[in-house]
Amino acid sequence: MNFLTLAAKNLLRRRGRTLLTFLGVAIAITVLVSLLSLNSGYEKELNKEVNSLGVHILAVPKGCPYEAASLVMHGGVIPDYLSAFDLENISNIKGIDLATPMLMHQFIGKDAMSGEDVPYVVFGIKIDETKRLKSWWKVEGRYFDDNETGVMLVGRSLAEEQNYSIGTVMLSGPFKNFTIVGILEQTGDQDDQFHFVSLAEAQRVFNKKNKITTIAVKVKDVGKIAAVSEQLEKIPDIQVVTMTQIMGTIMNLAGSARSLLLTVIAIALIISAFGIINTLLMSVNERTREFGMMKAIGASGMDIAKIVLTETIFLTFIGGIIGTLVAIVGSNLIEGFVKGMLPYSPKGSFVSLSPELVVFALVFSVILGFLCGLYPAFKSSRLTPMEAIRSGAD
Amino acid sequence: MSEIIEAKNLTKIYRRGREEIYALKDVDFLVNNGEFVSIIGPSGSGKTVLLNVLGCLDTPTKGSLRLNGIETSGLKEKDLVRLRQDNIGFVFQQFYLIPTLTARENIELPLLFSRKNGNRSRIDEILERVDLGNRSEHLPGQLSGGEMQRVAIGRALINDPEIILADEPTGNLDSGTSKKIFDLFRELNNHGLTLVVVTHSPELARQAHKMYTLSDGQIVRCEDLACRRFKYTLHIL
Repeated sequence: MNFLTLAAKNLLRRRGRTLLTFLGVAIAITVLVSLLSLNSGYEKELNKEVNSLGVHILAVPKGCPYEAASLVMHGGVIPDYLSAFDLENISNIKGIDLATPMLMHQFIGKDAMSGEDVPYVVFGIKIDETKRLKSWWKVEGRYFDDNETGVMLVGRSLAEEQNYSIGTVMLSGPFKNFTIVGILEQTGDQDDQFHFVSLAEAQRVFNKKNKITTIAVKVKDVGKIAAVSEQLEKIPDIQVVTMTQIMGTIMNLAGSARSLLLTVIAIALIISAFGIINTLLMSVNERTREFGMMKAIGASGMDIAKIVLTETIFLTFIGGIIGTLVAIVGSNLIEGFVKGMLPYSPKGSFVSLSPELVVFALVFSVILGFLCGLYPAFKSSRLTPMEAIRSGAD
Repeated sequence: MSEIIEAKNLTKIYRRGREEIYALKDVDFLVNNGEFVSIIGPSGSGKTVLLNVLGCLDTPTKGSLRLNGIETSGLKEKDLVRLRQDNIGFVFQQFYLIPTLTARENIELPLLFSRKNGNRSRIDEILERVDLGNRSEHLPGQLSGGEMQRVAIGRALINDPEIILADEPTGNLDSGTSKKIFDLFRELNNHGLTLVVVTHSPELARQAHKMYTLSDGQIVRCEDLACRRFKYTLHIL
């Protein structure tokens, strides 16, 4: 027999109480592990999403630049427009490799599966310039020409969902009678969900002659993004957003939300810790006579402290294991919850559970147990055998 | 015979506010090696306090106590723990067995603290000695009162102590079981173990070699029963 067997057997004495304490620790560790795993994954996923735009700077109509950036990334209607004049001004700035106009618009179409009306996003683009921005694009079928009419490209996921194939003719919506000439190969980002037509066609269909919503800018030298954006800002009526700014701001906003969540978790952990301390004190008080007996049969104060600490650490360690397992299994559920709380969420899954994090969680649960057990252990070890035996005397 | 317990002028005072309560008052107490001593007296007479002081579970306010030749006054807690481990086995009225441990594990418990090597055969030997060979894997809840007390006695024996101190060991048992426990004590004593037993039962107390009677924290009588039994035997002869 050793201290661990003694601790394990003792925890079986009050099964209900032990189970509740396990649960308390497990819940706290689950939330902690999930949040930390989401944290590192979030940054990685956001980076991927921003980079997949292939753009260094976005020029958008004046307004909230981050809302606009978010709309460009996920699709939506930017309520204001830039003009060809703005594009010309931008193109003249030194250091710019490429400035391509885009008209992004939403339209309502019928979903092939459910038959219901759902919103879709279409991008009006200049195909050659866009191909330069998104050098990774590959197409099944072919790209359209900028002056070709009645043709479109679609993203891979969209094509699969709507049963589109090369040659499919759209039957309804603003693009009725348009033929799909190409399907983009899976990009793993938001482009998989979009329709693409030539800029001229988009302007014609939506009756936005010479209007554009965004100008995507690629600079020649990445080191000069700041200098170029400074030049761009001098143009009236346009808002300049660099990808670094977007990343920084989103990370800041997410950081605030994360701090809030961390605070909630810290409070949950503290409450859980007090719960454990309370349980232990109760258990220690109940067993005062037993500890007195142990001292009488040769246990030192240190031995008694060791018994209490072993029990606590055992309790929190098992709770930690359960919590980590639940976090691994249930992280998708928690991701859904956290996504709702963040100001900007990348589309893909951002759970990233590393072995280091699992080790950290287990070490943390041991430390939690040690800290919670200190006071009860100290209290019980200080009892003189007489006090202990007498305190419970019948 | 050498003295294994030698207490002189033991006084234990408890304070309740300004009031001083003498639990023990100038008690002289001698136990020879291999002796069987009983202590009787009414409730509150200080029997348990005396036993606890003798077992180094409590410190006297005044007086000296030598255990197995070692002066205990002034010893640090660490040394007292070692002294208890090496010399003393305790048996309590309420048994104080750990309910989640089997009879065998309860007997084994002191080895966890003394770091002595408790091999299986030693535990088996103790189990046989207290007549629990066939009940070793039972939990305390599955044992009778007498069996539980025998487990407690086994636990007191595992460290091979010089002295067993028993506080009302039959207080919770019926008379038949009590007699069996005292028979076990006598048998252990016959093998050379020193025994000091506090009891309420004069009948059982008279089975010892020496019987101390305590009243109001003082020893009011010390009877040498062995000597009397010897004289009685001579008289009959």
